[in-house]
Amino acid sequence: MTPRGPGVFGEEALRDACARALHATEGDQAEALVVGRTQALTRFANNAIHQNVASTGADLRIRVVRGKRVAAVWTNRLDPEGLAEAARRAGELAGLAPENPEWPGLPAGGHGADVAGYVEATATTPPEVRARLAARICDPVRAAGLRAAGYVATAVSEVAVASTLGTWAYHAGSVAEVQVVAIGDGGSAYADRVAADLGALDPEAAATEAITAARRAQAPRDVGPGTYEVVLLPYAVADVVEFLGSELTGLAVEEGHSFVAGRLGERVTGEAVTLTEDPCDRDGLPRGFDFEGVPTARLTLIESGLARAVVHDSQTAARARAANTGHALASETPHPLPMHLRLEPGSAASPEALVRGVRRGILVTRFWYTRWVHPLRTVVTGMTRDGTFWIEDGEIAYPIKSLRFTQSYHEALTGVIAMTRTLKLQRLDLWDFDAGSIRVPAVHLGAFEFTG
Amino acid sequence: MGPLAAAPRSPPNVAVRVIPLVRDLAARALDTAQVRGASYADARFVHREVEEGHIRNGHPEALSRHDAAGLSVRAIADGAWGFAASQILTATEADRIAAQAVAIARASALVKALPVRLAPVTPVVATYRTPVEIDPFTVPFGERMNLLLRADRAMRTVPGLRTTRASFEVWRETKHFASLEGARIDQVLVETGCGIEAEAVGHGEMQRRSYPNSGARHQNTGGWEFVLRQDLVGQAPRIAEEAVALLTAKPCPRDVRTSVILAGNQVALQVHESCGHPIELDRALGSEAAFAGTSFLTPACLDTFRYGSEHVNIQIDSILPGGLGTFGFDDEGVPASQGWAVKEGRFVGYLMSRETAAALGRAPNGTMRADGWARLPLIRMTNVSLMPGPWRLADLIADTDDGILMDTNRSWSIDDRRLNFQFGTEIAWEIKGGKLGPVLRNATYTGLTPEFWRSCDAVCGPADWVMWGTPNCGKGQPGQSAHTGHGAAPARFRGVRVGVMR
Repeated sequence: MTPRGPGVFGEEALRDACARALHATEGDQAEALVVGRTQALTRFANNAIHQNVASTGADLRIRVVRGKRVAAVWTNRLDPEGLAEAARRAGELAGLAPENPEWPGLPAGGHGADVAGYVEATATTPPEVRARLAARICDPVRAAGLRAAGYVATAVSEVAVASTLGTWAYHAGSVAEVQVVAIGDGGSAYADRVAADLGALDPEAAATEAITAARRAQAPRDVGPGTYEVVLLPYAVADVVEFLGSELTGLAVEEGHSFVAGRLGERVTGEAVTLTEDPCDRDGLPRGFDFEGVPTARLTLIESGLARAVVHDSQTAARARAANTGHALASETPHPLPMHLRLEPGSAASPEALVRGVRRGILVTRFWYTRWVHPLRTVVTGMTRDGTFWIEDGEIAYPIKSLRFTQSYHEALTGVIAMTRTLKLQRLDLWDFDAGSIRVPAVHLGAFEFTG
Repeated sequence: MGPLAAAPRSPPNVAVRVIPLVRDLAARALDTAQVRGASYADARFVHREVEEGHIRNGHPEALSRHDAAGLSVRAIADGAWGFAASQILTATEADRIAAQAVAIARASALVKALPVRLAPVTPVVATYRTPVEIDPFTVPFGERMNLLLRADRAMRTVPGLRTTRASFEVWRETKHFASLEGARIDQVLVETGCGIEAEAVGHGEMQRRSYPNSGARHQNTGGWEFVLRQDLVGQAPRIAEEAVALLTAKPCPRDVRTSVILAGNQVALQVHESCGHPIELDRALGSEAAFAGTSFLTPACLDTFRYGSEHVNIQIDSILPGGLGTFGFDDEGVPASQGWAVKEGRFVGYLMSRETAAALGRAPNGTMRADGWARLPLIRMTNVSLMPGPWRLADLIADTDDGILMDTNRSWSIDDRRLNFQFGTEIAWEIKGGKLGPVLRNATYTGLTPEFWRSCDAVCGPADWVMWGTPNCGKGQPGQSAHTGHGAAPARFRGVRVGVMR
C-alpha cells in the first residue's frame, strides 16, 4: 500500500482495506477495525546497544453480526484475497456462534480524521538518529562512572474503524520515548521522557535526572516496614492512576468489583483529587474515538474527591442502560477503559518543593510489578525501584533499599497534602500498542503502607 | 510438499500452503543480508492462528479467530545486532527487511561494547510437530462453545454468584527458521487451553474462584483431549460454591509465621517468578536491567549457591509432553534439551542463548523464543519444573500440625532482582492437627526467594504432579508475551510469613 498523507499505512489505504472487507461480508451488520503499529526501538544496557529492532504491521478485525449471533476474525493479510478470506470466515463463524440475547447491535459512530498528534519526522526517524540519541544518554552516564540501560523508541499508531452503519474514523499518532536507568554498584535511578515529536525530547535532561539521582542512590540503608508520609514522583503516580482508572468502568461497576460501585456522588478520595478522562488533551497523546469508532466523551470521573462517572463501551452501556461514552478497547471481550486520564495538578512548584514539606518520610521514584491484592478495596502490592530515599526535615537525607508496599490506592489519595503544578506525560501501553496516555503531577501523601 | 503438509486430521491452511514460498523468501532474505555485509543472519517466518471462545453469565461474549503471519530477519554486521520484520510476504519486502536489519546493525555498532560472539550450534535440516490426539482446530465451534455453556450453567446452579466466565483458546504456530549457517527448520506447535471463573459479591467483599488455574485458563501443548481431561462441567459446582463461601469465610490470620502447603498451581507460579526468571542469563548479565530487571543469581553463584533445601530439584526442559515450553528447536535453531537449574538445592544452570552462553563459556540450551513474527527472540523459560518428591498431598496435610493450604494464585509481585516476593491465593484452608479446617479468605504470603526455598521440607510425588502452563509471561522492550511450562506438585514450606493485607 502506498501511504498518502499522514500515517504509515495512511487513511486512504485503510479506508480501502475496510471497505473491501465490509463488501465481502454477508450478515446483518459488519464492522472493520484496523490497528496499525510501526515501531522502532533501540535498546541499550551496560552502556551499549544490544537490541535494535523495527517492524511494521497492521491487523484488521472484521466483526459480523447475524441477528444476535456475533463473531470476529482478525487477519494481517490486507491484500484483497486476504481480506475476502477473513470476511468469509467471520460470516461463517457468526453463523456457528450461539445467540447472545444481550447483544445490543453495533454502535453507530464516526469521527473526522484525527492526525494532529502525528509528526512525520518522528515516524521516519532513521536508526542512526536513534543510535546517536542512545549515545547522548550512555556517554554522560558512563562518564559519571555508572552503567546505562534503557531505550530510544519511535512509533506510529494507526486506528481505523468502518461499519455497515456508516461509521468511519481514522487516527494516526506518533510517539517518541527515551528511558534511562543509571546504575551504580550500590543503587540505581530512573528517568524517562515521552512526546509525540522526537524533536521535543531532551535525552540529556533525562540522562542528567537519572545520573543526579543515581549518585544519591548509592549505599542505601534499611528502613523497616511501616506507614510513612511519601512523595511519589509522577512515574509512580501514573501507576496509581492507571489502576484506579481500570476500576472506573461500567464493567467493574456491573460486576461489583469497583470501589465506586453504588457510590457515585460519594466521597472516595481527598478533596484535592480531580481525575479527568480527556481524550482530546493536546498535551497528551490524543485520540478522539474508541476502537468501535465512537467519539470518546470528556468526563470528570472523580471531582474534588467525589465519584462522578465511569466509562462505557456499547455493550456495557446497553446492559446498564447508560450512555456509551466511547471507551471500547480492541479486546476480545468488552472491556471499557479510560485511555486519556489526567490527575489535575496542584500548586507546588516542583517535586523538590513537595519534599520540603515532609518532616520524616520517603521519596519514591517509581513502582515495579504492581498487582491487585484486592480490587474492590483497590489494594495493590508492588515494590519501589530505581531510587527510594529517606526524607528528613524537608531534605533528602540518604538512599534506602527498595521496599514492598501493600496499600489501597484510593485510600492513599484521601491523604493528598500537595501536588505539583506541572504534569508529566506517560504512555498507556496496552498489548504493546500506544492506546493513549496518562498525565500526572508528583504527589505528597500523608500515609502509605510499606509491608516489607 | 514437505512434512508440514502431511498433518494428521489437520485441514489445509494458509500457512501450510505458503510454506514453499516462505522458504524461498527466507533464503532470499539471507542472501540479501549477506550481500549487504552481515556476518551472521537468520530469517524466521511465523504464522500464528488462534481461535477462542468466551462465555459470560450464560451468554457468548466472544467467538473469534486470529491469523497473523510475517517474516523477520536478525543480522550481525560490524559486530552488532539488527532486526527487522514485516507482514508483507513478497520478494521485494524480504530484500527490504534484510537490508534494514543490516542497516540497523550498523547503527547499533555506533554504540557497541565488544563484538557479538555466538556459541556454536550444529545447523540442522529438521521438522517438529506437537503430538496431538484430537486436532483442536477440527473440533466444531458449536461443540467447543457448548462445552463452555454447560460448564457455565453448572456454575450457575449455585445461588449467589454475580459473574461467571468460561473460555477456551486453541493456538497453532507454523514456523520456518533458516540461518546463514545452513539451518532449515520447520515446526508446527499446537496449544490448547481452557478455564472457568465464578465471582461472588457481598458482605463488603468480591471473591473469585478459577479452575483449573487463574488468569482465565490452563494451557498445554497438545490437542482438544487436554480440555476434555479437565472436566470443567464436573468441577464447576465446587468452584461456584467456594466463591460464595469465601464471602463469609474467616480472614487469613494477619502477620504470623506458619507452615504453608502450596497447591501445585501456586507452586508452578512460585517456580516461574522466583526461579524461572532469575535463571535467565540475559537478566544476570544486565541486558534487562531497565525493565524486567536483573537477578540475584549472578554468574558467581553458579554451582555454589545454596538456592533451596535438598528437596528442591528444578529442571530446565523442552521435551516433556504437554509443556508450553516443549518444541523441537528454539528460535535460534538450538535443539530441545533437558538439564538442571537447581539440583538438590544447589544452583547449577541458567537459561541461555547462543550469545550469553558464549559469554559464560557454556553451551546454549535452546531457550530463545520470540512472540510471533514481529519480535526478536529473547531468553524465555521453556519448562522450568519443580521435580516430584516422595509425598502424597493427603499425607502431607496429615503430617502438618498447624498451617495453611493455599490454592490458585490471585496476586503476584516480586522485585526486579527476584528476591522479595508477595503472593496471594484465591482460597486457603486452615490446617490444625493434620486436618483441613475452615476456608480462609484473602490469603497472602511473602518472603525472600532463597530463604523460602530453603524452608521447603516436602514435595509431593508424581501422582500430584501436573504440567502447568503460563500463557502470559511478559518480558522485553518492545513487550513480548511468552508461553511457559511449569511442572509442579504441592509442596510444604516452614515458617512462612502470611497475612500481609490489613
